Amino acid sequence: MDRLKEKALSGWKCGVMSYREYNVFFMIVTGILALFVASPALSRLLVLPRTEFFTEFWILGSDHRAEDYPFNISRNRDYGVFLGIGNRLGYCAYYVVEVKFRNQTQPAPNSFNRTSSGLPSLFSITAFVADEGTWELPLTFSFDYRYNETLAQVGFYSMTLNDADLDMHNYTIAWDSDNSGFLGNLFFELWIYDAATSGFRYHERSVGLWFNMTTS
Amino acid sequence: MRDCLFVVFAVLSVFSLLGLVSGIFVEGGWNALASIELEAGAVIAEAEEKIVICYRAVSDADRVGANITGLLVVLNEAGDLLSRAKLAYKLGDFDYAVSLALQSQERLSSFVDEADVLRGAAMQARYWDFMVNVVGSIMGAVAVVCGGFVAWIVLKRRHSQAGSVGL
Repeated sequence: MDRLKEKALSGWKCGVMSYREYNVFFMIVTGILALFVASPALSRLLVLPRTEFFTEFWILGSDHRAEDYPFNISRNRDYGVFLGIGNRLGYCAYYVVEVKFRNQTQPAPNSFNRTSSGLPSLFSITAFVADEGTWELPLTFSFDYRYNETLAQVGFYSMTLNDADLDMHNYTIAWDSDNSGFLGNLFFELWIYDAATSGFRYHERSVGLWFNMTTS
Repeated sequence: MRDCLFVVFAVLSVFSLLGLVSGIFVEGGWNALASIELEAGAVIAEAEEKIVICYRAVSDADRVGANITGLLVVLNEAGDLLSRAKLAYKLGDFDYAVSLALQSQERLSSFVDEADVLRGAAMQARYWDFMVNVVGSIMGAVAVVCGGFVAWIVLKRRHSQAGSVGL
């Protein structure tokens, strides 16, 4: 009798499971079911917050790879590259890419001081990029220039960038004896619209290509 | 002598008249050019302002989770036209600059309204998404736990009754 009573208090048999086992099983099933039902809410609430906000800015060669960039440039010949922006700022951004050209003696954007080059821009490209989105523009360009033998320098007339004719009459490149060429740097500075100041500020990113202007 | 003086006077008069006429023409030409330049500058500034307004509308729509892909395509087109308008202005082609800046503005004529519609729809979708997926699923989970507890109590009671009957 005592044995039966003890059995009744500690647990009852349900098929092959004891009362305690059944209790645990019931709780596990209920918990799993509750978690399953709550999963849409959990997927929204248990998300690690983004901590890094930045912009990617790149230039790729004509094969869409980081190689085969044009270097030796011939007069009035078309060259192609891809210019791209990846927005990881957490909001839709309004960018302006300033297209600039310089010779070796002119100032480049400074990555240590985080300042842009003070040179005037040849052209501005506008880009609106959604958060987590990318924007890419194929660029086709050519240079019209002449070699001045007496001054040993290359003087530019114009540059054509995606059918836009850009005036380059004030641009010259002197002979670089160290590198044996007329080296010019086409570079792109990224500027971003700042809603707080209602103006553009330099976004501390620039990419560029060095060219050797061939005279033959 | 008198004839000579008359000829000199006549020549001087003709020259001064020519000078006056050319002066008026040149001044008028400069004025016209300056006014076109001013107009082009104003139209470009307007187009820039319009783009900023539209960008703000898109940002607001994006913030509430609207699909802004289509809007960004239009905005990029308008931005491209504005860039070309600025270039034309820099090169002194003011008529072309005005034309491009106006085209840019035209592209954005109903843009803010479209962005607002998308924003409204996204806000509504966001509300329902929150109600169903967050509030609904939390309520569902609570209901499952409560239901399980009630079922457990009922089963426990039933089996303890069965146990006491068995005793």
